Amino acid sequence: MSPDALTGLIQASGLVVLASTCIGVFVGLVVGMIPGMTISTGIIVVLPVTFVLPADISIALLLGLYVGGMTGGSFSAVLLNIPGTPSASATALDGFAMAERGEAGRALGIAIFASFTGGLFSFLCLFCIAPLLADVALEFRTEDMFSLVLFGLTIICSFAARSLVKGLLSAALGLALVTIGQDPVMGTPRFTFGRADLMAGVHFLTAMIGLFAIPQIVDNLRSSEAGARAQKKLTSVLPSLSNLMAIRLPVAIGSVTGAFLGILPGAGGPIAAFISYDYARKLSKAPERFGAGCAEGVAAPESANNAVTGGALIPMMTLGIPGDPVTAILIGALTIHGLAPGPLLFMERGDFAYGLIFSFFWANIFNFIIAILGLRVLVKLLAMPRTLLMPTVAVLCVIGSYALRNNFFDVYVMLFFGFLGLAMRWVDMPVVPMLLALVLGGQLEEHLRVALTSSRGDVSIFFSSPISISFLCLAAISVVWSLRSNRKQAKVSAKGPNP
Amino acid sequence: MRRKNTIAATVLIAVAIAYGALTAYLPVRTLPNTPDPSFFPWINTVIILVLSVLLLVGSLWQSLPEKPSRDSSRQRLAVWALVAFFGYLAVMPSLGFVLATVPFFAVMMVLFGENRPLWIGGGTIGATGVLYMLFRHGFGVFLPRGLLAGIIP
Repeated sequence: MSPDALTGLIQASGLVVLASTCIGVFVGLVVGMIPGMTISTGIIVVLPVTFVLPADISIALLLGLYVGGMTGGSFSAVLLNIPGTPSASATALDGFAMAERGEAGRALGIAIFASFTGGLFSFLCLFCIAPLLADVALEFRTEDMFSLVLFGLTIICSFAARSLVKGLLSAALGLALVTIGQDPVMGTPRFTFGRADLMAGVHFLTAMIGLFAIPQIVDNLRSSEAGARAQKKLTSVLPSLSNLMAIRLPVAIGSVTGAFLGILPGAGGPIAAFISYDYARKLSKAPERFGAGCAEGVAAPESANNAVTGGALIPMMTLGIPGDPVTAILIGALTIHGLAPGPLLFMERGDFAYGLIFSFFWANIFNFIIAILGLRVLVKLLAMPRTLLMPTVAVLCVIGSYALRNNFFDVYVMLFFGFLGLAMRWVDMPVVPMLLALVLGGQLEEHLRVALTSSRGDVSIFFSSPISISFLCLAAISVVWSLRSNRKQAKVSAKGPNP
Repeated sequence: MRRKNTIAATVLIAVAIAYGALTAYLPVRTLPNTPDPSFFPWINTVIILVLSVLLLVGSLWQSLPEKPSRDSSRQRLAVWALVAFFGYLAVMPSLGFVLATVPFFAVMMVLFGENRPLWIGGGTIGATGVLYMLFRHGFGVFLPRGLLAGIIP
């Protein structure tokens, strides 16, 4: 083990950092399991706290929440047939059927075990691949970085399945919003209207709070389904040895698929879960049992969606490219602490990078322990009064945007994005492409202009480097692949008996 | 959806034109054969304009199935919640966090379906107090005291 890795392990194993990871996992399990709350909302809730805590403690909290949220989503999927998070949609297909048969405890136990295995596998991938990838990324030139960021932006296509034009428009608006403030190359003020508040541009965390949380609060007001409650009696939670033997293949499929798809921009938990479910069904000796409440149908998607977490951290840490919306928020949280995710993170702050990786490991361990031991208590939280929860989230949105720079301007910007998010929802325009454009737009413009300046305006510079050409090809493949995956996912969802 | 798409496309075309007009007035500071600060905004303008026109054309040509309309009483609740939010942010700088949050929280609880006065009173004061103390004194966020400056810690 390298000295940085050892230091990282020691940092991540400190009492305060472990406690932070633990709290993050608990909060993640709670927000993940409550229908109407997503992992992104959970992160928004704890975001103001992370501004004032040291970087390692903040990231441990957020990683715990990320991991816990993925598992928590399966609880309501199994017990209520309402996936707590989109990633748990596939789990509901068999999990709820098992619960209806009186096997809710066994279904949840399998979900927790599969999540644990998937999470640990993705930790191994993260630990082994991330440092190597960071070394390679150090060789990238500015034209390569432009092509890489463009490749990262192809994530947009995954969120634009219903209308590619609307997805691209959302991203284009995000790129336009990025241009507010000083331009990244010459520092010329753009679209600031003489306001000093706008010189630093729109902070994407403020935008994210508005885009995600405000529409969600309003949706909870409008949704009649949100108040649905059901309590199932929990039988034995720990899976038996025969159960574990039965789910070994689906767990392996889910872990590998999830970790791999997590690395690819835009794939995300829901797609990985449905693809794993589909493969597990195809490779099963009794595929007809899928959908009627079989353990394998719970294990495959659950291992996949937790394996996605570690996979998504790989491009985030090594290239500064978010694998999904949550890792986009993590990038924002890191930048608040003056840490820029990318290849230099491993070179300049290797101890922190490895600390992050080991915090992810501990998050998976705590996730398993808290979920197994606290399942009965956690399930009772499904009855938490929404009348208290949602107003608290609304106030936390305000505190979160205010705490960023201790000024009201950011709060008004948050409200603007809240209205924008509502308008976008009204016209069925996805908000995730805008969020990603806000994260990556600055880098895209900077690398584009620097590359063109160095080539005296010659665009062939982007086709002069094999790395750049590779990323441009990957971007093209990613677009086609994302659109095909979305169609495939829609087909699998349509086949399921309990969508 | 067709009507919504048409409205959205029209608004976005107007946005693109306004953005383009503002871009045209950006200061020119560049070297020969290198992109200036308006280079990227011009690309955005063209992309937004082209995509908006595509959306408009698509909405005029296609007849997509309408989504089932939502319960109008719930939509009214949503509008009230947004009005409450707007009012909350408008008065907070002068009233301070605590005085602004108490009525906002109570209104939100009512909008989310709470009708027990004791729960509303207790929940509102309890949650506001806990959030204020936690963030102001626990995490050092300078939440504004407003009219209560000198009265509350």
